[in-house]
Order: sequence, then C-alpha cells, then structure tokens
Amino acid sequence: MLRLFDPLRTLLALLLLLAGLWWARTGDYFGREILAEMAVFAIAAMGLDLLAGFPRLVSMGHGLFVGIGAYGYAVATALWGWSWPAAILLALALSALAGLLVGLATVRARDVFYIMATLAFGQMGYVWVVRSAELGGDDGLAGVPRPELAALGLDLGDSATFATLLVLLAAAVYLLLGRLLASGFGRTLVAIGQNERRVRALGIAPGPYRVAATTVSGTVAGFAGVLAAMHSMYVSPELFHWTWSGEVLTMAILGGVGSLVGPALGAAAVVWLKYAVSGWTEYWGLFLGLFLILAVWTGGQGLYGYLERLRAWLLRTLTRQEEADARGDRTGQTLRRSHRHRPGVAAGGEG
Amino acid sequence: MTAAYWLTQLLNALQYSMLLFVLSVGLTVVFGLMNFVNLAHGTFYALGAFIGWSLLRATGSFWLALVGAPLLVAAIAAVLYGAMIARMQRAGHLAQVLATLGLVFMGVEVMRIIWGDFALDFAAPPLLQGHVQLFGLVYPAYRLFVIALGLLAMVALWLLLERTALGAMVRAAVDHADMAAALGVRVDRLFFGMFCFGCALAALAGVVAAPIFSVYPGMGIEILIPTLIVVVVGGLGSLKGAVAGSLLVGFVDTFGQVLLPQLAGIVVYALLALTLLLRPQGLFPARA
Repeated sequence: MLRLFDPLRTLLALLLLLAGLWWARTGDYFGREILAEMAVFAIAAMGLDLLAGFPRLVSMGHGLFVGIGAYGYAVATALWGWSWPAAILLALALSALAGLLVGLATVRARDVFYIMATLAFGQMGYVWVVRSAELGGDDGLAGVPRPELAALGLDLGDSATFATLLVLLAAAVYLLLGRLLASGFGRTLVAIGQNERRVRALGIAPGPYRVAATTVSGTVAGFAGVLAAMHSMYVSPELFHWTWSGEVLTMAILGGVGSLVGPALGAAAVVWLKYAVSGWTEYWGLFLGLFLILAVWTGGQGLYGYLERLRAWLLRTLTRQEEADARGDRTGQTLRRSHRHRPGVAAGGEG
Repeated sequence: MTAAYWLTQLLNALQYSMLLFVLSVGLTVVFGLMNFVNLAHGTFYALGAFIGWSLLRATGSFWLALVGAPLLVAAIAAVLYGAMIARMQRAGHLAQVLATLGLVFMGVEVMRIIWGDFALDFAAPPLLQGHVQLFGLVYPAYRLFVIALGLLAMVALWLLLERTALGAMVRAAVDHADMAAALGVRVDRLFFGMFCFGCALAALAGVVAAPIFSVYPGMGIEILIPTLIVVVVGGLGSLKGAVAGSLLVGFVDTFGQVLLPQLAGIVVYALLALTLLLRPQGLFPARA
C-alpha cells in the first residue's frame, strides 16, 4: 500500500520539485532543455509505475501511449490547425482509448505473457506510423507549436518558463497519482499485485481494475507524449519504438518501482547521466544496458529502495539504546518489505 | 492475380515461417526448460549474421559462415551463461526480462562499434544465386533453400526431442525439473546445453536471413517482436507450438500484406490480440 504522506517519499518529492524549480531559474539554456526532458520522462515513468509498481503489470509497450499522445497533439495542431486545448484533449482521449483497448486485450495475460503482449502491441503503433505517409513516415512531423499563454503573461517559447511549467506539471501528476493510489481503487491494485487469486477469493474481479489502471497509465503516458511534442516541437516514430518503452522502464526500475517518487528520481538520474557521458552519447545504449543489468543485480529495489534501507538502518541505530529496540526494528523491516520490489512474486504468486 | 502469383506468395509465407521457426524454437524451448525469458534472443540472431558476414569475408565460403557463426555464437552464449544467466535462473521473470533487455541495449551498441552503423551486403552462395523453375513458376533458389533448411530443422528437432534419450530428458525436465533431477537427470547441464543450442539456432537463422534482409545492428531488435508473437501464439515451451505459431504468423503476415495492404503489418497483431483473449496460454503450451 502506498501511504499518501510517507515522510521519506514526500521529502524526496519536495526536494526534486525544489531542485527542478531552482534549476529552471538558474540553469543555462542547455540545462533547462535537459530539465524539460527530465520532467517529460518523469511523468511517463510515474505513469508506468502505476502499472509496474502496484498491480505488478510490467508494460513494455508504453511507447504506444506516448506516441499516440505526441502524434495526436502534433496532427491536431500542425496539420488540422486546432487550438491547443482541443488538441490536448484529443491527444488524451486517444491515449486513454488506446490504454483501454490494450488493457482489454491483455486482461487475461499473466506474467511473461503480459510483458510480451504489451511489447508487441507497442510495436504495432511504430509499424503503423512508419508506413503512414500522412503522418510523415520515418521523418516524423515538424512545426508542432507550444501553447499560446500570452493572456496569462507567459511565453512558453522561453525555455525557463517552459521548463518551470513542466516541472510543476510533473508535480501535479505525482499528486494526482498519489491520491489515486491511496484510494480504495489504488489499494485494490496493490492487492492484485500481491496475490491476484486472493483478490478473487475476496469477491473482487481483478479484470476491471487492471483495465482501468492501464487506461489511466496510458493517459498519463499520453500526456507525457503531448509534452514531449511541445518540448521538441517535432514528433518522430521513435517515440513509438519499443526501445523507448524499454528506456522508460529502465528509469522506473533504476529509481525504484512501487514508490511513485522513485521513477521520477530514476528519470532525472538517467537523463542527467545521458548528458553527463555526452562524449559517449553515440553509444548511450551501452550505458543504459549496463545500468539496467546493475539495477537488477543489486536486487531491483532501485535508488528509492536504498533510501528506504538507509532510513530503516537509521531508525534501528537511533532506537537501539532505548527500550523500544525490538519494536523499532520490526517497523523498519515491515516498511522495507512492503515496498521492496520482489520479481519472484510476480513469477510464482499466480501459479 | 494468377495461380503463379498466389504460389509465389505461398512460398514467401512458407519461407518467412521457416525463418521464424528456427528463431522461435530456441526461445520457446529455453523458456519451457529453464523458465527463462530471454529478450536478447534477437541479439544472438543479429550477432550470428554479423559474425557470418565476417567469416564470409575472411574465407569466401558461405557454408563455412553458416556452420561457423552458430558455433561462435554458442561459445559467446556459454560465456554469458556463466557470467549472468545461471545466476538469474531463480530471480524471477521480471528480473530476467530486464537483465536481458539490458543485454539488448548493449548488444546493439557493441555491434555498431565493431561492424559500423550501415547495412552490410551478404551474398548468397554462387550455387543458390539463380532462379528455379517450379510448376511454371520462377522462384529464387536461395529462398527455396531457406524453406528446405527450415523443414530439415523441424524434422531434426522433432527426432531429437521425441526419439532420443536426450530428448526424453529434456521433455522430462520441462514437465517437472525437480522430479527429473531426482531421477538422475543433470538438469543444470541440460539447461546450459539447451541455452547454447537455442542461441546457436538463432545465429543460424541470422546467417540464413542475411542474404534476404542484409545485415544491420537493429535487425535483432526488429525480428524479436514477430518471434515473441510466434511464442505467445504457439504456446510456451513446445515444439508443436513453435511450428504452429511460426506457420500462423508467417502466413497471416504475408497474406495480410497481399490482401489488406492498407493494414500491412497490423494484421499479425490482431492475431496476437485474438489469441490472448481466446487462449491466453497459447495454442500448444508445454504445460497446460
């Protein structure tokens, strides 16, 4: 279960938000571009966490939703001349619809089958777009406008304003998803992740919850796609490709799934690393792959998992002298266990 | 749309199916046997094609490349097995998917570093470069060779799995690994052998595909998706499933492009969605 006001989670989220806002104000142009990219990936990774971290449905096809969101916005604005609010609504509606359909098609798929099926469906969008002349095929679509907010005194063409807006939007997505996960709906998702059979035994059909979670997750990913299109003012079929989905999944795993803030941290860390090793960006996949393997080998709990361990250790050390030694120890253990990412459970739990 | 046209499409579909079969059988058997999900299977396919290309250039012999590349890739697979696959066996599917996804990302870059970023030409052997007259139809000899090789692999694998002691051990281990181990089967050695064998088959498919599709770093990433669809549609872990899945995917994809060109490439995903809804465990799963 995700506690809405877990102090560590809240603290880390606040730190990320403040660091983002501070960076948007003081960074140079290149730094603000990186920041905007971080925010886009953070939103996509948090949306993925809703599926991968809680009901433990590891989607490898989130590029589909990101691509649909990005292309929906790009086509509506650049090709059809729609106003930006209408274009955003269309993009969100389309990605929600895609989420609903993928959710329905995979509702019976378990474990590896789910991974393989989402992987395949994700690639379907790529094949479609690459072969479509109207959508620009391999070249993508250029000339995607950013929203006009002059009435509010904002110029989104300015990189500092745009980066600030994206950071704030990422924070809003974090709050929304956090609220959703703390609700009865969110708790049911967690229960499905822990033991789907038991959920059935309790009289709850997991299917509709799974479909609903995929729809929400797809919509969030579509929103990330809209922002990606605005950010680069250009869309390409790469957004659909399954390696893009794999990259977002890497960020979520590296940051620590099942914590919501972890994937955001992972997105920031991976995007930062991508530019930090800029001399090597040509062979970026080498590093990305290495990070992924290391993240799995070190237990798959991600960066947030390590922070939780650190907290548990601190709690233990601080309470050692006191009488409540054993109790404090147990609290730390439970915390660690409930948030720990256990790949084995997904494999064995559903039989 | 003459009879010859349809016969050509039929042969094209068969040839694609055979390629998918050689690729997917390794993936599905490794899964059935070891409960191990290997997303890097396509990477071994690409690696086979590249190593085959280098062998062809060094020796000038296609046949040497056809035999040598799978052997070298099996050796690479053996090293990888020792370095990471063995210790990931009990780690669960998610960890395996992620770690082998890491291998996919790294593999593409390693191939780009060694062989460059461009598509490399790969000539078919002189013996198979021409066309063949067949029922009044002119068809590339090399593609017929691919079909023959696939059928040969199918029969050989069937004999191996159904008619030899080794095959019986493999089937026993797929059914119940612990029980087979209790009866004296060295299950871990069997796993190791089958993993390397499956990777060698992927490499074989890579060399065989090279003259048709040319050789480039992303080829493994591209072929992985149809291969996974074959495995999901056919059912995990069974030879029968790999045969049925590859024929279905090969024919649906080829005839989908001919009959519904506006939906080219999408039809096969409809097949996948349908299978997932009606038979989520696939057509012929090894363990029902």
